[in-house]
Amino acid sequence: MKAISRVSIALFYCLFSASLSWADGIPVDKVYHPYVLANERELEWRFTSRQNDDGNVLAQRFAYGHAVSEYLTIEGYIVGERDEHGDFGLQAYEIETRWMLTDQGELWADWGILFELEKQHKEDVYEFTSGLLFEKEFTQTSLTINALLVYEWGKDIQNEFETEFRLKYRYRYLPALQPSIEIYTGEDFVGVGPGFMGIHRYEGQKQLKWELAFIAGLNGDSKDHTLRFALEYEF
Amino acid sequence: MHKLISYTTLSIGTLCVLFCFPTLAAVTEYHVQLKDHLFFPSLITIPANQKVKLIIENQDNTPEEFDSFSLNREKVIFANQKATIFIGPLKPGEYDFFGEYNPHTARGMVIVEHQQEPLNVN
Repeated sequence: MKAISRVSIALFYCLFSASLSWADGIPVDKVYHPYVLANERELEWRFTSRQNDDGNVLAQRFAYGHAVSEYLTIEGYIVGERDEHGDFGLQAYEIETRWMLTDQGELWADWGILFELEKQHKEDVYEFTSGLLFEKEFTQTSLTINALLVYEWGKDIQNEFETEFRLKYRYRYLPALQPSIEIYTGEDFVGVGPGFMGIHRYEGQKQLKWELAFIAGLNGDSKDHTLRFALEYEF
Repeated sequence: MHKLISYTTLSIGTLCVLFCFPTLAAVTEYHVQLKDHLFFPSLITIPANQKVKLIIENQDNTPEEFDSFSLNREKVIFANQKATIFIGPLKPGEYDFFGEYNPHTARGMVIVEHQQEPLNVN
């Protein structure tokens, strides 16, 4: 009953966020699963490269995460981006927390909540993201959906609410190879493309996860492709 | 497209409300002990197409992590504590699981079978 109450509150929040405008920036990023594993620590590297009519945007994120309980994990990020002069440098820092609302398989679907706070390094720009994480198993496949609400504020940006939507439909073929279809929407962006992920286990709780996706923008631009790659070492 | 997402979210919400409540019905429990890094019983037979609850009691003084790719489950079982793992509904077949900290000894299998219908004797 407690789990259903938590999910109901989260859903109302999600419905509110769905009525707002889309987010800007690179909308292609990780599709979060709603799960937290107790005692887990992780190091993560994400790489995203978007090529469209305006040129190339390249971003990398380095993170360290730690599960603080059976249901809650906290992760800190350093974000690097290539600027308009082609120089790569520190762009932002971020703290993120994920809360697993239901045990896996407890209800019809599994639910979680995400909160992120980001500060741009050289500008007075803040971003607070919150969202609902959903996953449902259909035999050997899993559907994962993230509905995110973003609020941006600061002296160097117009205060506004935005939304993002991410979807991944994955076939759990083998631990090392799980193909998927991913869909993303953000401000003036709708993208779709194939993705792959896999896990390689080492001793004990140590494992390496990898993710790769190639997303084509369907916005009408002559060229809009995003490549995303992520490596996660859990220990 | 914006409205589409709103409707999608609303649909998910409605489906959740519709489908969450049936899960409140009694779920059959299966008790498993973990002792000396071994699962007892190591073979668990459950009915097909039904959700069940595995309650695993870790009697060891060290934690263990239940892991199964085929069951799509991963859960830490703390030392001298119990953990609940929901599995199913599953198709008939064999689904293996193991303990990540002691993968050579802590091994088991969930066997999913069709339950025989009771005979209707008139």
